[in-house]
Amino acid sequence: MKTMNLMNTTITLLIVGALSTLAGCQTASPNVASSDVASGEVKYGDAKAVENVSNQFGSTDLQSIAETMTRSLLQSGVIVNGNRPRLTVAEVKNKTSEYIDTGSISKSIRSQLLKSGAVRFVANIDEMQTQTDELIRQNQSGLYDKKSTKKLGKMKGADLRLEGEITSIVKKHSGLTDVYYKFSLAMVNIESGELEWADEKEIRKQSRR
Amino acid sequence: MISAHCKSILGGVLLAAVLALPVAAPLHADTIESKLDRLGKLKYLKVSDLKAVSSGGLLKIQATFENTDNTTQRLYYRFKWLDKDGFNAWDDEAWKVTELIGYQKQAIQTVAPTPKATDFRIEMQSPEQGLFGGRAIDSKP
Repeated sequence: MKTMNLMNTTITLLIVGALSTLAGCQTASPNVASSDVASGEVKYGDAKAVENVSNQFGSTDLQSIAETMTRSLLQSGVIVNGNRPRLTVAEVKNKTSEYIDTGSISKSIRSQLLKSGAVRFVANIDEMQTQTDELIRQNQSGLYDKKSTKKLGKMKGADLRLEGEITSIVKKHSGLTDVYYKFSLAMVNIESGELEWADEKEIRKQSRR
Repeated sequence: MISAHCKSILGGVLLAAVLALPVAAPLHADTIESKLDRLGKLKYLKVSDLKAVSSGGLLKIQATFENTDNTTQRLYYRFKWLDKDGFNAWDDEAWKVTELIGYQKQAIQTVAPTPKATDFRIEMQSPEQGLFGGRAIDSKP
């Protein structure tokens, strides 16, 4: 009888233990928050996780803007017809009150568009100096085999130019901070000056102190 | 993420549950269910409509998320793009977060990043709901 009671108690304890362990097995969310890292701890995280560390412009905002703009561009009539137009990236202006590396946003858009195989990109204004320096070195230094030097005057001009801006509206009231971002991107036909495509991505973030 | 320890416990519980069922539910190739990868329990969130068409050589998707509860629910989601052989056709997308107020239906549209993508899955997760459900963000819409 005593043995039976002991067995019953042991089984009950095992079940309770298993259930309480399971209760602790909540599925973690794919997000990054300051509470996720203990003091003094260093850990690797998911680069694609939703970043909730602060209400400032963050990795999730950059990734979602780049993705939305790329997918919208891929559906535009200019790109869909399969002629792989040549694009160049002009300035993306930062009109917000915080520091945002807009070049990083445009580079993400460029990488994703190139990877899709739908377009080609030519050197933009920032990259032009490096490009011309290389051509001049090959053609004027006398160091290179003439057969292998790349000829001057063969660079391709862009058909379309991407340009944009990011703006923000920040409101604060009773400890609540509301940040609204709007990223606008447009594609201009360089020859005709026509606006071929334009889209916007809006983001709202709120935090409370 | 669920730890290996939790997985083994879960595995045991799930196996027991499967053995207790008289017949396993069949999987159909082109149902909404077959396109969803749920990470954990989604008690109040579901995909009520799913459309896929080929547009300009790219797969275009419209998914309608629905909150079946009267409280606001938050949803994390992203698309996985697969090629004709079932391999990943694109890198992992960034997770997106959206909020649905009580009983709201929200249609989201996206397009495949490459013509190689011929199939897709929607990964879904709710931060408010773990394995046993959970609280809502706010009781008011």
